[in-house]
Amino acid sequence: MKRFIFLRLVNIIITLFIIATVTFFLMKLLPGSPFDEERLSKLSDEARLEFLAKYGLDQPVYVQYAKYIGSLIKGDLGISYYYKGQTVNALIKDRIGPSMLLGIQAVILGLSVGIILGIIAAYRHNTIWDYFTMLVAVLGVSIPNFVLAAILQFYVGLQWGLFPVAYWEGYQHTFLPTISLGVTVIAIIARFTRNEMLEVLQQDYILTAQSKGISECAVLIKHAIRNALIPVITILGPVFVSLLTGSLVIENIFSIPGIGSLFVDSIKMNDYTTIMGLTLFYSAFFILTILIVDLLYGIIDPRIRIHGRE
Amino acid sequence: MNKSLSRLFVILCLFLLVISGCGFTDSKVNKREKVLNLSLDNDIPDLNQVLTTDGISFSILNNVMEGLFRLDENNEPQPAMAEKVDISDDKLTYTFHLRDDIKWSNGEPVTANDFKYSWLRAMHPDTSGAYADILYNYIEGGEEYFEGKVDESKVAIEVKDEKTLEVTLKAPSPFFLGLTAFATYFPLNETFINEVGEDKFALKADAILYNGPFVLTEYDQAEGVTLEKNSEYWDKDNVDVDKVTLKVIKEKSTALNLYESGELDRVYLSSADVDTYRDSDEFGTETEFISWFLQFNFLEKPFDNVNIRKAFQLAYDPEQLTKTVLNNGSEPAYGLVAAGVHGNDEKTFRELSGDIVQPDYDKAKEFLEKGLEEIGELPKIELLTADDTVAKDTATFLQSEFKRNLDVDIDITTKPYSGRIETMRESDYVMGISRWGADYNDPMDILSLWDGDPLSGLRGNYFNEKYKRLIDDASNESDEERRLKMLIEAEHIMLEDDGTLGPLYFEGKAYLQKPHVKNLIIHPYGASLELKFVKIE
Amino acid sequence: MQNMKKKEVEIPAKMFKIVGRKEETLEEIKRSHLTGWQDGWLRLKQNKAAMISLFVLLMIVILSIIGPHVNTYTYQQTNYDAVYLEPNSDHWLGTDKFGRDQWTRLWEGTRISLYIAVLAALLDILIGITYGAISAFKGGKVDHMMQRIIEILVGIPNLIIIILLIMMMKPGITTIIIAMVITGWVNMARLVRGQIFKLKNAEYILAARALGADGRRIIIGHMLPNTLGIIIINMMFTIPSAIFTEAFLSFIGLGLQEPLASLGVLINDGFQAMRNHFYLLAFPSIVIVSLMVCFNLLADGLRDAFDPKMRN
Repeated sequence: MKRFIFLRLVNIIITLFIIATVTFFLMKLLPGSPFDEERLSKLSDEARLEFLAKYGLDQPVYVQYAKYIGSLIKGDLGISYYYKGQTVNALIKDRIGPSMLLGIQAVILGLSVGIILGIIAAYRHNTIWDYFTMLVAVLGVSIPNFVLAAILQFYVGLQWGLFPVAYWEGYQHTFLPTISLGVTVIAIIARFTRNEMLEVLQQDYILTAQSKGISECAVLIKHAIRNALIPVITILGPVFVSLLTGSLVIENIFSIPGIGSLFVDSIKMNDYTTIMGLTLFYSAFFILTILIVDLLYGIIDPRIRIHGRE
Repeated sequence: MNKSLSRLFVILCLFLLVISGCGFTDSKVNKREKVLNLSLDNDIPDLNQVLTTDGISFSILNNVMEGLFRLDENNEPQPAMAEKVDISDDKLTYTFHLRDDIKWSNGEPVTANDFKYSWLRAMHPDTSGAYADILYNYIEGGEEYFEGKVDESKVAIEVKDEKTLEVTLKAPSPFFLGLTAFATYFPLNETFINEVGEDKFALKADAILYNGPFVLTEYDQAEGVTLEKNSEYWDKDNVDVDKVTLKVIKEKSTALNLYESGELDRVYLSSADVDTYRDSDEFGTETEFISWFLQFNFLEKPFDNVNIRKAFQLAYDPEQLTKTVLNNGSEPAYGLVAAGVHGNDEKTFRELSGDIVQPDYDKAKEFLEKGLEEIGELPKIELLTADDTVAKDTATFLQSEFKRNLDVDIDITTKPYSGRIETMRESDYVMGISRWGADYNDPMDILSLWDGDPLSGLRGNYFNEKYKRLIDDASNESDEERRLKMLIEAEHIMLEDDGTLGPLYFEGKAYLQKPHVKNLIIHPYGASLELKFVKIE
Repeated sequence: MQNMKKKEVEIPAKMFKIVGRKEETLEEIKRSHLTGWQDGWLRLKQNKAAMISLFVLLMIVILSIIGPHVNTYTYQQTNYDAVYLEPNSDHWLGTDKFGRDQWTRLWEGTRISLYIAVLAALLDILIGITYGAISAFKGGKVDHMMQRIIEILVGIPNLIIIILLIMMMKPGITTIIIAMVITGWVNMARLVRGQIFKLKNAEYILAARALGADGRRIIIGHMLPNTLGIIIINMMFTIPSAIFTEAFLSFIGLGLQEPLASLGVLINDGFQAMRNHFYLLAFPSIVIVSLMVCFNLLADGLRDAFDPKMRN
């Protein structure tokens, strides 16, 4: 177990190092610069170089790279070009709150609704309940969430006036974005839970429990659901990816100051350090999610011996 | 198992409470206050007046700071921090007399030293930003100071006494007073900056000292700013609004929804929505001093040939572009200098210089034939453009018009905004859609870019001896009428004789504004948003 | 569960008839011989949702090929006198801000989206199979190394890499496909490797071997069909996610070049105009949702049909 975690950690560090290197050189290949080029075009060539020198951009690429990796080891993601005077660390720290809150709420919404739908669908297999759930599940992954967000904002927010249209000023402001993000999660989880439940219901121990004469309700709760839910943890990886994708567009639509909108903007503004910093941050978060899922799974499900897995 | 799940749930809920608690800023609105709610279309990159290059930052700074002059509703500079100015007969020396009752938001008086400190700071090689040239191009000794060749004593900014500032210019510049209204010319308080610390300056609302009609009370780069009336402002009796919020909203459709729900007092429309609201009382358009044009590269085939350039210049109708495709209040361009840019006292430059390039498809075809005789066949032509909607739409329009009117197929290459400029600077294009936004209200601003010294890829590598001489002479001419004539002649040479570029349009915006908001001014150049004169009924 | 509630019914012995025991028919295979494919197809045919999906998909594919040629307009033909027309008899789905015919653009866009998605999925599979198969068949150190590489790649959020790659390269169809493939094959490689490992040790392979099947027969007759099922099912899931990725990229402004259309480009344009020209958003949305739903349902159906565990 210890060896397993150690190996995984080494792997994580190698992965992050590779990502840092790849993004760094990708940034160097990107067209354009993070500055107001229209403005700089007015400066003479020397003045322009002098301006770049202030950001260390006149040095050879390998020197810039060494410096970047050097500060990365110290946990310093550098200084933003676009948000002048701000460190990328501070930017991420400022913006992470709303994104985390929305992400967690979407996961909670997705888990609660998705699991219930999944259980009902499996229990009432091949009935109207099942078909309805599967419809929800398929539509949930099929409707692009930015389309959904725009429609929710227009109807629920503006026409019906139920929830705030946009901004980030109070708890009710999280509702529409959470739903927009959560629908995909509901869909993923409902579908997964249904399949797991169907499998569990065919197991011998369910038959055993039934033949012992335990009430159906108890069989369902004590034996079926408990065992069907354990593997749900494993899909937190894909769920994370869908939340990430969603947050990139949904935060802009609802004017939420989160890291998703920061990422899209830094791309548009060629803000190299912020792009690199966020890429690393997302990767680290993603990798850690996977690691935690694996560890949790091993702890919760006694049948699994981590070192025995591929 | 159930227990651990529920425990997990409780932990999650607690966590949720903690972050939801710190994630929000409460805003309580007092009903009796006069509040104006506006939006910003992007994050606020920074509020450091020396370093910033961003229109949003300028717009905010313009209302919390003030220069020697401030632009009025007709975009004419009016005395602000300065009470009056004496201009010498050779139009080179400006003596500004500051008002007595001007104060920083901490109660300290604003002095001539604050201006000198700020201007030197904006030109110093270590502290300057991309706007340094807007000072050193005009102030005597500025350029040498910026290059580090001389010390500050050689820069012709002199503090005569606490309230008197004397500046000597390199050349007569009739637009200089307008420049003093621009953000880079705002004063800064040295003591305050030293107290806060260089690296913390302007990062938070309380890390800036204000001298404008408003002060910043809340500042979040991603959410926006809140401005409140400045009680130390010299002209506070003429400031009607108590509070202004400027919220960051990146999607136009979101902004429109907020406008309709009453949470915004003004909103910019996307072109698709314009027709629906065109007849509304709340509808309006504004035009900026931003010229869009089709730049030909003189060093690349086929645009090294003047007839080919002229053929493409005449083969599309800018009015069709602005009316049907852009549909956002932009004005069709038949010349380079934007409509509304100062000419003489009666007329604008555009009116004086006239419509130089007017679409004529038959003539365009003639030019094309003539050109083809000279160069043989047309090579493959790529049109370079930035990747935003407006630039892409313009490119699509040109593509279809060249096909229709010249029967020439062209390809479109899109690049991100700064990638487009970089490609053009490196001269790696055939023709490209380009733009220039004016820094000051004078045709010289845009015309001087094409002087071809040194050759610039961004300007199509254009060089014409005659054109350059006209521009150089005009810069040193102190007689305004003669100067104007030279500039008009220059514009005609460049567009008519040389077919350097094809004018497209002068950028405009269509907006909706609530009827109770009056006198909200958007200047067509520089720091555009003007809240000082806003009246709320 | 319901069975245990049934009451016992008494059946009198005289209702039974003794038919005797015939040695020759005891080992006879009564059902007609079906290959795995025929069997799967039979099952799939019983799945109404999957069959309808298959039909709708075929319709969309056919429309995307002939659709643009049904009327006289081309997808890039502009008409500035006919901008933002509501759907009418002339322009069946209306026109956009350039006066371009939306019917033509919609099917043109569908075709390009499908082209991107299918090609990306095929390339994923090609690379994935090669990588996975080499890894599984070579085994040992090679497998170990290749698995380490995959472990590292899995840790990278695909979308971020796709975005960065698209920013770097010239925007266009090829760029989008390359960007998606660069990260997309990893899943397929893992799947194929796992499947081959499983099959290597599967009992029925052992049984086939014991019955004297040679290596070729085992690979073609047993390993390939069983792996192919998984591959096809995975492809059915990959295609909609590629369609979605393309739409997403277009939405954040990293899509195709004008005047090319794709579903993503059309949805993005429609989103800009949704307030007053909802049809511009509605039609491409309907097509993209139908595509996604159908591919997903078909994939589900295929999985059920080819997954032996689902057999009664």
